[in-house]
Amino acid sequence: MIKITDLEKIYRTEEVETIALNKLTIEVKDGEFVAVMGPSGCGKSTLLNILGLLDDPDNGSFVFNQIEVAHFNERKRADLRKHNIGFVFQSFNLIDELTVFENVELPLIYTGVKSADRKKRVEAVLDKVQIMHRRNHYPQQLSGGQQQRVAVARAVVNNPKLILADEPTGNLDSHNGNDVMQLLTELNEQGTTIVMVTHSEHDAGYSHRIIRMLDGTTVTENILI
Amino acid sequence: MFYNYFKTAFRNLLRNKGYAVINIVGLAVGIAACLLIFLVIQFETSFDNFHTKKNQIYRLGTGLNSQDGLSYTGGSAFPVGPQIRIDFPQVKQVASIFNNGGQVTIEGDSSPQKKFNENNFFYVEPEFFKVFDFGWLAGNAETCLKDPNSAVLTQSTAEKYFGDWRYAIGKTFKYENKTLYKVCGILKNVPANSDFPLGILVSYSALQNTYVKNNLSDWVSTFGDAYTFVVLPPELSQNKFNAQLKTFAKKHKPVEYAADAPTAQPLTEMHFDDRFGNYSGHTFSHSLINALALIGIFLIVIASVNFINLATAQAINRSKEVGIRKVLGSNRTQLAFQFIGETFLITLASMIIAVSMAAVALPFLNQLLEVKMTMSLVTNPVLLLFFAITVLLVTFLSGIYPAIILSGFNPITALKSKITSKMVGGLSLRRVLVVLQFVIAQVLIIGMLIVVSQMNYFRSASLGFDKAAILNVPFPGDSISRTRLEYVRDNLLKNPDIRNVSFSFASPSSESNWGSDFSFDHASKNTDFSANLKWADENYFKTYNLQFVAGRPYYHSDTVREFVVNETLLKKLGIRDPKDAIGKQINFWKGGKVAKIVGVIRDFNSYSLRKPMAPVVMSSWKDVYQTINIKIKPGAEKTSLPFIEKIWNTAFPDYVYEYKFLDETVANFYKQENQLSTLYKIFAGLAIFISCLGLYGLVSFMAVQRTKEVGIRKVLGASVQTIIFLFSKEFTLLIIIAFAIATPVSYFIMHNWLQNYTYRINVSVSIFLLAIAGSVIIAWITVGYRAIKAAVANPVKSLRTE
Repeated sequence: MIKITDLEKIYRTEEVETIALNKLTIEVKDGEFVAVMGPSGCGKSTLLNILGLLDDPDNGSFVFNQIEVAHFNERKRADLRKHNIGFVFQSFNLIDELTVFENVELPLIYTGVKSADRKKRVEAVLDKVQIMHRRNHYPQQLSGGQQQRVAVARAVVNNPKLILADEPTGNLDSHNGNDVMQLLTELNEQGTTIVMVTHSEHDAGYSHRIIRMLDGTTVTENILI
Repeated sequence: MFYNYFKTAFRNLLRNKGYAVINIVGLAVGIAACLLIFLVIQFETSFDNFHTKKNQIYRLGTGLNSQDGLSYTGGSAFPVGPQIRIDFPQVKQVASIFNNGGQVTIEGDSSPQKKFNENNFFYVEPEFFKVFDFGWLAGNAETCLKDPNSAVLTQSTAEKYFGDWRYAIGKTFKYENKTLYKVCGILKNVPANSDFPLGILVSYSALQNTYVKNNLSDWVSTFGDAYTFVVLPPELSQNKFNAQLKTFAKKHKPVEYAADAPTAQPLTEMHFDDRFGNYSGHTFSHSLINALALIGIFLIVIASVNFINLATAQAINRSKEVGIRKVLGSNRTQLAFQFIGETFLITLASMIIAVSMAAVALPFLNQLLEVKMTMSLVTNPVLLLFFAITVLLVTFLSGIYPAIILSGFNPITALKSKITSKMVGGLSLRRVLVVLQFVIAQVLIIGMLIVVSQMNYFRSASLGFDKAAILNVPFPGDSISRTRLEYVRDNLLKNPDIRNVSFSFASPSSESNWGSDFSFDHASKNTDFSANLKWADENYFKTYNLQFVAGRPYYHSDTVREFVVNETLLKKLGIRDPKDAIGKQINFWKGGKVAKIVGVIRDFNSYSLRKPMAPVVMSSWKDVYQTINIKIKPGAEKTSLPFIEKIWNTAFPDYVYEYKFLDETVANFYKQENQLSTLYKIFAGLAIFISCLGLYGLVSFMAVQRTKEVGIRKVLGASVQTIIFLFSKEFTLLIIIAFAIATPVSYFIMHNWLQNYTYRINVSVSIFLLAIAGSVIIAWITVGYRAIKAAVANPVKSLRTE
């Protein structure tokens, strides 16, 4: 699914040059659940942004689904992204002006799904994350756990091949956090590849493999299964 | 997808009601003003454009050469039209028309006599209706305008005289209590957008029975109200025709007047060229149209600037949404369209409000400009185009920049709420835009102040004669009426409130003027300028308090026996000492009127202050008097009116009494300027209003953004004053920068405008000081409320929110 080789990302300001990714090489297979761990500033988020096609690398190769995408332009990346990748963020990132239903519906709109079809699919996925009863509420009217479930619903509504999760339980209490991890595990069991950045060893325990990073490159890999 | 955008946009507006209101109100006011300006321009440019031959019709005006250069009149000498028919057989259609006021009397069979003073009485050749497209309800030009005793009425005139126009045919009326006319045809009412205010039309041949009968073969005298129109064939261009008219003038005019040739003016220019004038007395110059259009565009720009400023300032709040949408797969174009769509929505809402605002304001505008404009999509489908273009233009102007900025956010930074106002590129751009707004607002304010000062000057300037408490009453010009003048004077003077009574051709400053050249001091050639002839009795000098610099008034006489002239006339003749002029001879019309100068008076303004002082020749000549000049005791003007009317009606029972105060006549010279100065006041007010609305929005936004900063500053010991200063200092600086730009721009524009007037104000520093002081104070008031609110807020509260 993902094969990155010698990936480099360097942030430059006028005086300082920060190497965020240093000749990083990682491979993620179809259907894997991978956790990425490491201290702040080790490059986890940069890696996730590049994997999510939100950012482009300076050097190296990034093959996604057998296609070299390292130097795609914005339009191509957006196109690839909306059909293949779902995101779950620590801070949920729901649009405040849209209801639960409308937030989840949004990716389908961007991929051009017909209205009747959209309704069916959104309702199915809201049912799955057990938030159907809140479909007409606005994000601020929900608890953190409920908001994250909506965010997960939104991430999967398009049936993406890959879900990228950036500390999905970071803003949640342990009870709600476990719920979300359970949800991700179920998705993985149904075949979705998941790459999750986390600080929590507990959460990482849900994954198949833990990649530990330091200073922009991998230091160890633990295979859990 | 559009529904989703619409929803987001709508909910965003609801959530930020304050900004939405500022944006929509600002845009609506701007668009409403622009819409009204559009209606004015559309109306003024539509004059007489309904004639099918409008592009081929030309009016033969006359260029008049004098010492002061070339001037123009829309009229031509009476023989010009008939001679054109002979000399230019290729010009197939020639039509002459002459406008003359007068009294119309309807003698009912049983009902009492009705009397009307009419200005819209015309002598017309039947060809006029081949040249122009005025519709007929009954009769036709061929049958009705050949017979010298037939008349044609417009529908509304017929209704005024006879109730229903259908009953009018065959009825008779008397003109000037002398000529009987029989109604033969009815014209449709003339549209409001025509410079031909037709009311009563009679045959051109009836001129044989009027006071101009001797001028019908006179090539020299040019009557301003005698127009000749021609339809030029396609192969004859205006330039070619004008060149031929020069030869034509040489062939027919006496040699000393041959340079004053007829000149063809396109009908399409008649409403715009104020050098020539027209029957409606209302012209609207192209530069005026351009100025109004520019003001309209300015107002829209100011409102759009508000939009851009608030949208970019708010962009930070929208950054998260942008980030999410991008992560979910939206590309930049889609996002840009989303934001432009929001702008479109706001503009559309503003347009709808603007239309209702304009509809409410239109009657007042009509009243102010004395026009009849309508705003109906049925009769004026072009409005739809205006709406569409305005909405698109404003959407583009205001929406494109914020859309580019917002859609360009990097999704990662946007999601982490790390977008700062610097990334919005906003701060310096917003400063530039605020400066632009205030440059426009201040140019309008300075311009308005200068126009208003000039108007005040017109009102208060000394004209060289008394104009207060003087009543001008016209009287009938027939010889029987003239015998009653002594009776009128004697009886008027019995009232102690009436100080003086004088009879004259016209008042010192009047709309009717009589000009002629003359031979001075036995010179063989006439003067190369034309003097303004003020025929009046000897009481005129006292009535108007005209001052003598040499000699004396002429003695009482009913005919021309002695002349009095003014200083300008002497200047034109090259005489330094007024005493030298006394005893010199003036000879009008080759011995027609010859007498010696007995006095020289100080100059007075016989025209509007637009024009220079005119040379004046005065003498007594009872046969041409037509005005009673009555000086009333100040304060007794109103109470004396019934008394004057009673005496007038006893003396002239068959005529209609009318009067006008001289100061009103003089004020009327500046009617258009006064109307425009009112308009400018409104527009300048709107400009500053919209600008301040935007300023208020920006400051409100700043106050929210800087809540934490203000809290920290206060904790560290800043006083309320220093916080207020913090907020107002930047805007004050921006307004001063704007002022520095606006001053030279407005000075340049207004200096040029003032050149239109011979008598004008000096553009003083105080006008500019007033403008800057006014803008700064208004801006402070706008900013002050928010600044004080932010400054007095409890710092503990503002810091706790972090």
